[in-house]
Amino acid sequence: MNIYDLIRRRMKEIQGEAQKEEPVSNISTSSVLTAEITLISTIILAAIMLRFLSMVLMIFVVLALIFVAIMVMPVMPKLKREQNDSLASMMFYVVLALGIITILFYWGNLNV
Amino acid sequence: MIMDTQSASLLTASSLIIIGIFGTVFLDNLIKKVIALGFVGDGANLFLIAMGYKAGGIVYIFMPGMSRDWFAQNASYPLPFALVLTSIVIGASTMAVMLGIIIVLYKRHGSISASKLLGDGNNGK
Amino acid sequence: MSLHPANLLIPLMVIIPLTCALLLNVLHGKDRTVKIISVVVALALPVLPLLAGYGTQYFGGYVPLAQNSAIASGLPTSITGSALSLFHPAITYFFGSGQKLMLFILGVVALFSIFASLYEVKRPSGVYTYLLFMLAASIAALILTDDIFNLYVFFEIAALTQVGIILVSRVKGNYETALKYMILGGIASPMLLIGIALLLGVTGNVNITDIAYSIKTGLVNPNSSVLLMACGLITFGWLYGAGLPPFHSIKSAVYSKALPNGAAMLQAFSVFMFVALGIIILRIFGYLPFTKVFIIGISLLAMVLSITMAITQTDFKRIIAYLAVGELGYIGIGLGLGTVAGITAGLFQAVNEVVITAFLFLGFGTVLYKTRQSDIRKLGGMMFESPKSAFLVLLAGFAMAGVPPLNAFQSKLMLIQATLKAGIPELGVIMILLSIVTFMTFMKAFYAIYLRSKPKDLKILEKKIPRVTMVAMVAFLVICITFGVFPQLAIGYLQPLAAGLV
Repeated sequence: MNIYDLIRRRMKEIQGEAQKEEPVSNISTSSVLTAEITLISTIILAAIMLRFLSMVLMIFVVLALIFVAIMVMPVMPKLKREQNDSLASMMFYVVLALGIITILFYWGNLNV
Repeated sequence: MIMDTQSASLLTASSLIIIGIFGTVFLDNLIKKVIALGFVGDGANLFLIAMGYKAGGIVYIFMPGMSRDWFAQNASYPLPFALVLTSIVIGASTMAVMLGIIIVLYKRHGSISASKLLGDGNNGK
Repeated sequence: MSLHPANLLIPLMVIIPLTCALLLNVLHGKDRTVKIISVVVALALPVLPLLAGYGTQYFGGYVPLAQNSAIASGLPTSITGSALSLFHPAITYFFGSGQKLMLFILGVVALFSIFASLYEVKRPSGVYTYLLFMLAASIAALILTDDIFNLYVFFEIAALTQVGIILVSRVKGNYETALKYMILGGIASPMLLIGIALLLGVTGNVNITDIAYSIKTGLVNPNSSVLLMACGLITFGWLYGAGLPPFHSIKSAVYSKALPNGAAMLQAFSVFMFVALGIIILRIFGYLPFTKVFIIGISLLAMVLSITMAITQTDFKRIIAYLAVGELGYIGIGLGLGTVAGITAGLFQAVNEVVITAFLFLGFGTVLYKTRQSDIRKLGGMMFESPKSAFLVLLAGFAMAGVPPLNAFQSKLMLIQATLKAGIPELGVIMILLSIVTFMTFMKAFYAIYLRSKPKDLKILEKKIPRVTMVAMVAFLVICITFGVFPQLAIGYLQPLAAGLV
């Protein structure tokens, strides 16, 4: 199987499984809801820190984040699906993180 | 000569690492995965020892008849050599443990396919 | 060169548990002897750091040339007059006040972890006690060492020991998790090694003090792209070692596959690795502003991802495991602020977290001991079975959430004050928010296990909780209350270490 097929199958997996994931019992529904609210509010709060770079950018990003958060509301089931225990997905994120970090450090240390 | 020894070693090391990571990510057979990890480790070790290279340098053993100043100027750097030995030993023991685990998994499940054994669902089987 | 006897104890803090571990292997099968030796050495672990005097240990006695006139006198001035005379020729261990407190806390956690294992495991002469001692020795070396390659070696030993601890636990799926951890480690730890190799290539040194000196005094170009690359790779290794994202899910899986007393040691390993390598990153790369931004960013990510994951789990071991990873974020924010107050608060939080998480693991471990069940959907009514341990677990949960007068309250308060002083109140707000969610997560597990009525099909084994486990929990509680009421006791030790980093 070539790489293209692997990546495409992975994309399909993510999209397909996120839809049928539904919280069931009372306690798990409230947990997922709490996690959802925590996640969104933390991200928006964190986005406020962009004010150190530029005020206009911060306002724009926060508004955009609120809009996006409302649009893609049940984000937690997808996120939970993503952080599963399968080696393939963990490896995917590890290699992705390695790439991001090396680029980020090279760019960030020269520009921040 | 197109390339000096150090650049050639660094190039080899980086290609070993890239091949290794590629293999670890995309190969399904656990033994092959471990071999690919061996590539990554070897690449790192080669990288480390290439740091001690000195163009036209000599082995850092102080022989009778050498002058101290001449030795200091011409010997290659000994520290990476000492470090890489330790690192190789660590790599070997890690690999031994990994292969041991794979033997146990094979005896239990009769398979060494990563997607079957190390997926999400069959974590507690 | 004369050696002070109190300074002689510095290497012994690593050597004694290491030797004991090897000795226990030789004595395989002789349960009584093993028990006696283990008890004696385990008792020594917290005592040694208290007795040792502050100082530096040069292995082999190779002091820097500047301090050794006997050798330096015969050398040309090109060596004695340059920075070469200040460099450390041997592996160096540095023992200061911060290290003293951390090693003491490590000793206490190791002591109770080993005691609990001796009484909960049927055959104490097995390989498990050996692994716990080995882990204690490697963590002590991580804290003490001033040599980045030595740190790498002991980190690898600790990582292998960690794998060993989950392999012997007989928890379902332990082999699979161990192999996943090793495969991910097989990519990440060579990256850390390459980072170290790059540092070695640029500065010609593996001693952290010397590397920092070379960069600070301009012996090497601080903005060279090789150093930036080294910084990135070492930070990646740091993420792996401490279990920050993207390694948080594997790290929490590792904790949940170990026995509770082993998990208490494993989380101590992660926290101290986080602190040790975090301090090194600050010492070497603290001059790069982006490093601190990155540390804060990744800490926020760790907190958010782990705590939101914790609340959606159904296995209580996994819940505590994710909470333990999430709590690392608090330490990271303290370190990332880069101020004395921030770093002190972060280190204080680290010390508190080691105690509290060990407390929680042992506490919830009693449930596992009595029911062999870790799914909270199938548990309930444990309050009537073991009211004393229920009360202690509740207090541990309070401590983790930061309820006064327990210790994490003081450290979290200090952290929030530090964020306000640094002019980033958003971080403080996020920390408060996530503390509340942490508490809620804990209460969810506590309610399901202890408070609601017992399910009909839950079998409770007729086993008494070992007394040593209860003693351990009470001891942890005492530490929590002591540091909560007298925070100066800990801060006084940690402040000099933090002040040295700024």
